[in-house]
Amino acid sequence: MTPGRMSREVPLFRPLTSWRPKLILGSLLAGAVAALLFYSWGYQVRNDIGVTGLNRPVFWGFYITNFVFWIGISHAGTLISAILRVTSAEWRRPVTRCAEAITVFALSIGGLFPLIHLGRPWLFWFMIPLPNYRGLWPNFRSPLVWDMMAIGTYLTGSILYLLLPMLPDLAILRDRHIADNPNSARARIYRFLALGWRGTAQQWHSLESGIRALAVIIIPVAVSVHTIVSWDFSMTRQPMWHSTIFGPYFVVGAIYSGIAVLMVAMYLLRRGMGLESYLNDKIFNNLGLLFLTFTLIWSYFTFAEHLTVWYGNEPSEMAVFTERISGQYAWVFWAMILLNVALPMLVLSFPLGRKPFFTAIVGVGVLIGMWIERFLIVVGTLSLPRLDFTVGTYQPSWTELGILVGSFGLFVLLYLIFVQIAPIVSIWEVREGEHHLGQVRPASEHLTVETT
Amino acid sequence: MQRNEKTWLHAVFESPIDAQGALQKLTEYGFDSNDIEVRSSIPLEGLYPPDLHVRSHVPLMAVLGGIVGGICAFMLTSLTSQAYPMETGGMPIVPLPTTGVITFEGIAIGAILTTVATVLYECGLPFFRMKSGPLDHYLAEGQIVIAAFMRADEYSDWTSKAVATKRQGPHQPPHSVTNVKGV
Amino acid sequence: MTRWGMVIDTDRCTGCGACVVACHAENNIQTVGEEEARNGRAMHWLRIERHYEGEFPDIQVRFLPVLCQQCGSAPCEPVCPVYATYRTPEGLNAMVYSRCIGTRYCANNCPYTVRFFNWHAGEWPKPLDRQLNPDVSVRPAGVMEKCTFCVQRIQEGQDRAKDESRQVTDGDIKTACSQSCPARAITFGDLENSESRVAQMAKSARASHLLEDLGTDPSVIYLQGGEEH
Repeated sequence: MTPGRMSREVPLFRPLTSWRPKLILGSLLAGAVAALLFYSWGYQVRNDIGVTGLNRPVFWGFYITNFVFWIGISHAGTLISAILRVTSAEWRRPVTRCAEAITVFALSIGGLFPLIHLGRPWLFWFMIPLPNYRGLWPNFRSPLVWDMMAIGTYLTGSILYLLLPMLPDLAILRDRHIADNPNSARARIYRFLALGWRGTAQQWHSLESGIRALAVIIIPVAVSVHTIVSWDFSMTRQPMWHSTIFGPYFVVGAIYSGIAVLMVAMYLLRRGMGLESYLNDKIFNNLGLLFLTFTLIWSYFTFAEHLTVWYGNEPSEMAVFTERISGQYAWVFWAMILLNVALPMLVLSFPLGRKPFFTAIVGVGVLIGMWIERFLIVVGTLSLPRLDFTVGTYQPSWTELGILVGSFGLFVLLYLIFVQIAPIVSIWEVREGEHHLGQVRPASEHLTVETT
Repeated sequence: MQRNEKTWLHAVFESPIDAQGALQKLTEYGFDSNDIEVRSSIPLEGLYPPDLHVRSHVPLMAVLGGIVGGICAFMLTSLTSQAYPMETGGMPIVPLPTTGVITFEGIAIGAILTTVATVLYECGLPFFRMKSGPLDHYLAEGQIVIAAFMRADEYSDWTSKAVATKRQGPHQPPHSVTNVKGV
Repeated sequence: MTRWGMVIDTDRCTGCGACVVACHAENNIQTVGEEEARNGRAMHWLRIERHYEGEFPDIQVRFLPVLCQQCGSAPCEPVCPVYATYRTPEGLNAMVYSRCIGTRYCANNCPYTVRFFNWHAGEWPKPLDRQLNPDVSVRPAGVMEKCTFCVQRIQEGQDRAKDESRQVTDGDIKTACSQSCPARAITFGDLENSESRVAQMAKSARASHLLEDLGTDPSVIYLQGGEEH
């Protein structure tokens, strides 16, 4: 063990070996905000879905926007970490774990929203293919059933993809805690969580094959998830929803917002937990370049989508288009362009702009911008149906706002709890990277021989 | 202790290079790869006994799991729709494109679950009865533990030889021997 | 085979709204009140759209009664994950309230915006509950509803014909809206029966479908622009 690495790993183990007041306080605060979600949801279940601002024709509003938003964010981890793993990008090592955790929690929250949004959420299981007394199965032709299948697959896959590479780290924690005090609660917990991992040649070999296989499988799954989310819209025939470009457009937007939340999370982890030596400037620079790439791809898609509609000049589509570009949604639309196109291009194009603080600022901007994008797609189309006699507007209610704010609290809460359970930077992967680079000093000065 | 009872002797190495040296020596002394166990907190490609054959069926099982998952999903979709054929006004009940979407997810979930199950099976996990050895905390610190399975009368002989590889530092002679071979 | 259909002569429509009231009374449609109506939650399975032609003072109002078009190729049907809306063998676009979980996807895919959601359950304070039609279920909160072509009346008419051991004849069955229209702008009947009045009127050169270019194959036919205008 080199002294350099040992001192470097100290901040990683700190929240895992003792209670950190800052993290506890943060969790409590986040929990209070998260309570808002459950309070508002409970209120809504008690008093019917009518407590929202939804109406006819705007049958979908904040909840579906949040659904698409959170599912989009979930592409931070699994997809980015899987792509970096498959391509053996060495700098991925400190990033994968915190990105994969984002996926699992964002996906869990995203998956809540279809339930929150239901008129009768207690009957959601009608959608699940279960043998039942009615003899009737779900309609597999409905994009909502595809959604459920895809999100179920992705959630299962990403939880396993987070947990499997975590086993050796949990074993490290187990061994440390057992060495400290074999009867402590933490020692018992990690003994259970590590499942008896020993780190033998066969175990490593199987684990690495497994991680490689999962990384390969999870990429098309992630792509399918957001494609299917987009198909919820594009399978309909509504103006500016019925678009063939929506699949790839949504996937790109999802990865875009995923990188944005990753930048913010990495910045906060780095500052809050003293992980500067892991999440270093080089990683921010690399991810910043990836971020910029996705700015360009997203901008291209947005331009292509709007150009086709405008040039096609179909009246029902133009009604939605005009309202978006110069009507009541114009200010949000242009704010989105500012946040998703202008700001990232201006900042991220320069090396200085790819420093941690600036990427995090851009990340916050893009998150807001991507939320707006989904809002415009959902509400913009619905408020302008084909028969203009039924044109409507939408004002979110306090319940909807409470659930939106609460969802962020819930996300932060889950993340902070996770940070106190597992190393947020994959210890073994970083050590392996150092080993590959030959950074481990060969000067072993003694050999300890013990038998047991 | 019986002189000829076989037991595990554990040694801790700080760097992979030292571990490799010890492994070479063990092989030279004629230890079978089954009688050597290398444990580490990182995967050490090329640092295992040369004749140790570790293999993984993960890729094959993932493909098989994918096929099974896909077939299950296809059957679920098509059979349930036909079991209760809804009136659709002339639209197909089991259209291939929409069934394909579900089948795709079935392939993925099948492959994912078999991958994880195969990894756990090959690793012998979960293994909750695993006993921690007194050297395990060295693993946590990133050191490498090499264990050799040998007869008790061999080990003092071997330790003296192994200790000969050390350049300096204290050496505590082993005092207790118990069999903790886990897997 | 039967395919229930409706012909609406817009040249006859005076926009009086009798059909809307009749529909409410017949189908236990809740009245949501002033505030909810302002929020865009008014429920009228049948609505009368007003369209203005020309500039004031030379202005003319045209009325267009719009209800569920009972599409032959309905966009709302395939998107429902739980088969709460489906097509009956008699060409109706049916709604099964007890199966509906309230995803509201069907409403989003309806180009005619004729689906209505129970944001809250309807209330009929005593003694108004006495006016509820016993043949029609009262919908709970959280389910979708829409025009059924007065399926309870169709059922009743078929039952009566069966009791009298005869076929259903044209004019046996009237929806609430067609029955109450003072201008007789609304005619209901079987489109597959070439003898029926709706089938005859559907052949008229004045006939058209709403948003015909979408290819939804509606069962509601509008007549417009003839001598009667």
